[in-house]
Amino acid sequence: MLNKTIIYIKIHLLNYCLSGLLIFCLLFLSAPLYAVQITLNVADIVAPSFTAHGIKVILAQDGSAEFSIDDFHLAEKKWRKVYVHCTEFLLSSTRVTCHKGKLDAIPDMPFTFSYTFSSQRLELQFASNANELWQVNADFRAKPWHATALLRNAQGKRLTGFLPPNGPLPTQGTLNGILVVHGDKGGISQINADLQLANLAAADTSGLHAAEQLTGKLYINADRTGQKWNWRSTLDWQGGELFWQPLYLRSGHTLQASGQWDGAQLKVTQAMVNLPEVGKVELNALWDIKKSNLLEGRLVGESLSLANGFANYAKPFLEQGSLSATELKGRADVDWQYRNGATQALLLKLHDAAVEDGEKRFALHGINADIPWHAQLQNAAHVAFSDGALMGLPLGATQWQIQMRGMDFTLPTATLPLLDGKLEVSNFHMQNANNMWQWNFSSTLTSISMQKLSAALHWPEMHGSLSGSIPKVSYQDKLLKVDGTLLFRVFDGTVLANHLELFDPFGRAPRLSGNLDMRELDLDLLTRTFSFGNIQGRIDLGVNNLELVSWQPVHFDARLASSPGKYRKRISQKAVENISSLGGAGGVAALQRSFLRIFENFGYDRIGLSCMLQNDVCTMAGAEDNGNAYTIVKGGGIPAITVIGYNRKVGWSELLNRLKRVSQDNKAVIK
Amino acid sequence: MNNLIKFYFAILVLCASTAASAQVNIEVNTPGVVALKQSMQARHAQLAEFYSSGAVGLTSDGMVALRDANAVPMAARQKANGLVAAENQDRKSLYAEIARANAHPEWEGDIRNTFAQRWIQRAQAGWWVQSGGSWSKK
Repeated sequence: MLNKTIIYIKIHLLNYCLSGLLIFCLLFLSAPLYAVQITLNVADIVAPSFTAHGIKVILAQDGSAEFSIDDFHLAEKKWRKVYVHCTEFLLSSTRVTCHKGKLDAIPDMPFTFSYTFSSQRLELQFASNANELWQVNADFRAKPWHATALLRNAQGKRLTGFLPPNGPLPTQGTLNGILVVHGDKGGISQINADLQLANLAAADTSGLHAAEQLTGKLYINADRTGQKWNWRSTLDWQGGELFWQPLYLRSGHTLQASGQWDGAQLKVTQAMVNLPEVGKVELNALWDIKKSNLLEGRLVGESLSLANGFANYAKPFLEQGSLSATELKGRADVDWQYRNGATQALLLKLHDAAVEDGEKRFALHGINADIPWHAQLQNAAHVAFSDGALMGLPLGATQWQIQMRGMDFTLPTATLPLLDGKLEVSNFHMQNANNMWQWNFSSTLTSISMQKLSAALHWPEMHGSLSGSIPKVSYQDKLLKVDGTLLFRVFDGTVLANHLELFDPFGRAPRLSGNLDMRELDLDLLTRTFSFGNIQGRIDLGVNNLELVSWQPVHFDARLASSPGKYRKRISQKAVENISSLGGAGGVAALQRSFLRIFENFGYDRIGLSCMLQNDVCTMAGAEDNGNAYTIVKGGGIPAITVIGYNRKVGWSELLNRLKRVSQDNKAVIK
Repeated sequence: MNNLIKFYFAILVLCASTAASAQVNIEVNTPGVVALKQSMQARHAQLAEFYSSGAVGLTSDGMVALRDANAVPMAARQKANGLVAAENQDRKSLYAEIARANAHPEWEGDIRNTFAQRWIQRAQAGWWVQSGGSWSKK
């Protein structure tokens, strides 16, 4: 037997209007009587802050109740199929209570709920056996109404459903503290939160935003006036670590901040941040919430540690650049001002700072600088450093005055001490165009001792000097170009270097190209330097289309020949042996077998050798060519000796190995 | 008729491109290639653990990517980031250097595609590789 009654009702609850079609299905089972239950179906409940659809309530005779809601929306969140069980459910004209309640989604957290209609007091408490408590008490009749949430060992992971699914979601950790909210007809008007986080862990799906063992205290106080909130906050990060791509931060940070919030913009009027092992910075900011971008900002800090500040907060953003292996030292005063989508001013003072490249390509020490940079104003920067190094070459103390106008920097004249000489720089000009830095300057290199230069570069000790006038050095799109000619005075001769270009100087495989023209090098000095056996005389060496990659030759067209003119021409037996050995050991054997071995040195008419390097093969030619053979040393005088090579194609790597070992198969013979 | 001309033109272009790619020597060993390979080899020992854990995978465009930072201890995530950035920088330079060593800088894209397939073919079992924008475990 089935009786059904349909009743239309309207209930006022918490000033919200609950309306709908309430269908009472009174199922009277014929027998037994104790199995009687009442099922209520409510189409929906709509309120400003929440909606619920497909509500079904089953009231059992034992006083328990089962609630099921198909869809439940609260604070822009949506839950489907929500089930609630109340072991003791009471609905009277004065109150509604649920004791020993259980939410299907959190079965380990029994709850009790009570709402008194007349006093409009609400009590809700979730508690677990693990001493976990989420308790809300509210008085909605008070003026202003207020609600208090008390958290004790509250599991952070229970907040997952309330947080954006794409952001970091808590997986463990607890919250303790109190949250007090006051409100009026316009909604919430005051918030006070005093929370302690312990061992909180959270991560997003990519792991690029995550925290572990996060422990700290958070205090927030906010008051609403009209639509605007005034807030104050302190944060004390006491433990744990945070990775927020690309930053990795450890505890020790503290923040005291205050500002306003109007729903569209967040304004930080004053904030003091303590960056551990760096220093304190003051900042203010205006943040567009909807567009998620910074409208205005200013950051001021004094005597900040450059080492930790750069390593922790700047370097992670430079992984792709040539500064990724750079380390800074010293202290800095910083005043950074940002507005209209760009930095408007950066006032930077460096105190006894240093910059060092991890791959030892450059370094500057004892840097003291005052750089008052403004985007719109012209200003002068003063930079001084005590010493440094560039590609292994030591630099001396220097002072520069740099004129700045926006992204345009000029240095009319400057002197850069380099070893025992100096580089006089004039008309240095650097600018940023289309997000690419480019610069150029002209310079004069005054005499640098080759002895010091070769020692600095770990070359065999050379004598002479290096000097030159360089009309223009420019850098653009990773290409460093030298217009003009560098003049070296080495081995009592001259070396002219021109058309020099260096591509990607700070890359993994820098590429150098250019031409070298060497004149009247003293072979006596040269062979002594390279321990090649003694040769007396002078040579000219031209190297055209030289190309070095990673500082190793990949291409050149080199031609070596005795210089014109009269001078003593002698070659030692050791030198003959070594030249011959470049082709192989047989030549040496031939010399040692002949009577010529009794002579210490020989006369020669001229020396000639060319090598065209391509595809790792050196194609050789000599002073005279005769079919497959070529004369490397043309004999002359008494006793004379001629060295002839027969192998025109020699692997470059092999040739280098032979130069090192100077003993291999014989391809040259002695006549 | 037009379609026939287009067809023959397409065949011609295809043959020309095949002929061009057939001439590429991707095993070329210039000092630049050697320096880059040495740099990558030295880094590989550090990257290998991230390949194995699935934190870093091989992309379909011949690069590597941090695909699951959760597989890396938090303190090491920055290091993983740095290794990936440096590896990609070297890989890009390697493709450019091989193209240049072949005297055809414009072949860089083709060389990169060839290497992308090679890296993925040679990836060890258990490493993550990208195909058509999605990741799979080899």
